[in-house]
Amino acid sequence: MTTANAPLEPLRNIAGALQANSRFQDVLDRLVAMSERDYYDPYKLFQWPDSLDEDAYWMSPELMTVYGTEVASAFDENQLKAISKWESINFYSVNVHGIRELLTSIIGRIHTTGFEIPSEYFHHIIGEENDHMWFFAKFCLNYGGKIYPDRQIVFAGPQIPEAESFLIFSRLLIFEELVDVYNQFMGGDERLHPTIRQVNAVHHQDESRHIAFGRQIVSILHEELRARLKTAQLTELGDYLKRYMRASVEMLCSPAAFRDAGIEDPYGVRRKVVGDPAFDAYVARALRRSTKFLANEQIIDDERIPRL
Amino acid sequence: MSDDLSFIRDYLLSRRPEFTTIDPDLDLIDNRILDSLGFISFLYVLEERTGQEIPLDSVSPEDFRTLNRIRARFLDGGAAHAGA
Repeated sequence: MTTANAPLEPLRNIAGALQANSRFQDVLDRLVAMSERDYYDPYKLFQWPDSLDEDAYWMSPELMTVYGTEVASAFDENQLKAISKWESINFYSVNVHGIRELLTSIIGRIHTTGFEIPSEYFHHIIGEENDHMWFFAKFCLNYGGKIYPDRQIVFAGPQIPEAESFLIFSRLLIFEELVDVYNQFMGGDERLHPTIRQVNAVHHQDESRHIAFGRQIVSILHEELRARLKTAQLTELGDYLKRYMRASVEMLCSPAAFRDAGIEDPYGVRRKVVGDPAFDAYVARALRRSTKFLANEQIIDDERIPRL
Repeated sequence: MSDDLSFIRDYLLSRRPEFTTIDPDLDLIDNRILDSLGFISFLYVLEERTGQEIPLDSVSPEDFRTLNRIRARFLDGGAAHAGA
């Protein structure tokens, strides 16, 4: 747990780094104002139809993990539509589980030593992420009848206790930027049902603020680490984040989704998809914003994402 | 070593070429042969091999710590109890 490792971190250094950056406070003030301005009640905002058309794409075809792969060339239109339904349920399920990790991490830090300055904005993030988790879960339960279970087990990551918060905020940023690529695209995709578009568009609107915050804090925390960690440790952090990025995209490719779509040999299909060069290109596209940012900040050495 | 365990060992070795063999009692987690980021793909390999989905709310990280523990929990008949 985060709290168990927190005493190992130089929290005064974190507080000092956040305090010393005058731009950070300005960004926080702006984000708080935007959150107050854009506040909405998710429980009243959405219209939830009883069902969605099964004979339609629930996810933009270009965003499906099978897009462009050799194994997908054998699927007919009905199979692809079925995959799009269950892959979208998996996508929202991954969001639900990712938000749980995000909330746990933020709640573990709000109003604690080192995080005095962003705590006001943490209240907005917590509230907004709770709303997101609710409408993603609602979508899954209404139209898929379930939330796919979390398939992750947390083992120890890089053994660099000084980087605990940096890694947490980096993972949260990467997660938010990744799903935002899908939200932004699907929010404006006229081929999709209005409810699907709305869920994605609303999430995109809020996430743009969270991403702005995430980029600020990740940049500041890494700058602080650069002053203290050895080059080899910084390299280890960068390599870990590259692997985290690839693993995050691979989570969107689910044998359970293939199984529910009626696809034979779902595990074999997943193996073929993640081993297909088209999937490597898919990973690079999905992560482009993150890899560009992290490389510009010298957090990763380049924008290439190797296979796991 | 059973066919299933050899299959799992060979999969892990294919991901960590710096290892030439894996002792059945070697700590896979401490030695970074198995980590969080590679876990989901490993889980799918295990599920495909055993033919059973492994609900994670019924297992713990300790069940994956060594090849022998994986064998006892999921292979050689252990899979029948994975969801118990």
